[in-house]
Amino acid sequence: MFGALRIWQRCVSRSVSLCVPRMNLHLSCTKMLKEIRETQEGNVRVFEGVNVPSPREPYVVKTEDPRGCCTICSLGLDVKHTDVLILSQYLRSDGCMLPRRITGLCRKQQKRISYMVAMAQKAGLMPNIGPPGSKKDPKRRFKWKKFNTYFDESTIRDLKSIVEVRKKRAAELE
Amino acid sequence: MAACKRVQQWNTFGRVWHLYDATWQNPFQSAQKIVKYLKGLHKPIYHPLNDCGDHVVVINSKDIALPGDEWRQRVYFHHTGYPGGATWTLAWQLHDKDPTMILKKAIYTAMDGNLQRRYTMQRLHIYPDDNIPEKIKQNITNQIRPLRPVPKRLDHYAPEEVEQFPKVMDWPKDYILR
Repeated sequence: MFGALRIWQRCVSRSVSLCVPRMNLHLSCTKMLKEIRETQEGNVRVFEGVNVPSPREPYVVKTEDPRGCCTICSLGLDVKHTDVLILSQYLRSDGCMLPRRITGLCRKQQKRISYMVAMAQKAGLMPNIGPPGSKKDPKRRFKWKKFNTYFDESTIRDLKSIVEVRKKRAAELE
Repeated sequence: MAACKRVQQWNTFGRVWHLYDATWQNPFQSAQKIVKYLKGLHKPIYHPLNDCGDHVVVINSKDIALPGDEWRQRVYFHHTGYPGGATWTLAWQLHDKDPTMILKKAIYTAMDGNLQRRYTMQRLHIYPDDNIPEKIKQNITNQIRPLRPVPKRLDHYAPEEVEQFPKVMDWPKDYILR
């Protein structure tokens, strides 16, 4: 049953890698993003979608994984909730987690990262990425929220199930 | 007694003053560590009847960190002795009233309840921020290593550092940036 599941996962991740040009498979010449700009000229307000080159293009880490894993799995990264430089890459400017079709993560990593984003936001480690009305200074929050809080990544429920599956597999091999 | 032996004697039985920065540290795990220095358990000459404990100066006790939802879950109980005199104070309420109390109570409960406990506590100096009286500051000769690293906030990184950090994700080409 696990074998079938793995093959299915592989197919899914491959199809994702074909439609998302993050796996070094570039059909277009350069990566262009769209940005919506708003200009006011007298009584006329103009909204236009402009193509802009991606600012991340020169810094993207190249992953060459034959199985077509997601970036975090194939790099073997052990991300913690204090790694705000990594977590902030998966966020919109209002602090929302991007969906899976844009992040290109596998199901487990998407769940794990979104949990850790919530942890980092509760700990006040990313106060500059948030909705416009949010409090920028975590020390001015309400009641208990103004005090420093840290989290344990082993409390993320999905991780436990991964460990259990690994233990079961190891027991079967022995 | 030879001069070098005399100096060795002073160094062995002299009280050392340690500094501990409680910023982003768990007070209950820190207490286990601080108690060892207060009692002198880290010294080879330790004996319960041997008064060899050191002083510990704890700074930034207002910036301690508790895991998960413990600010709301941890409760401090007090009873005045009169009927209906019981009060339950949550950890965040106690920390609002006195930012040194949680750490002080954690260290007090981490020690055995014997006659030495009150005297050992007198060697502990807790300050809510890093303003220490000059008289105490000039005694400090050692710093206790913190238990967990202090996390850095995203807005405390330089903008170039955030921009040039290796990226594990790039947006698809039809993504609308916002």
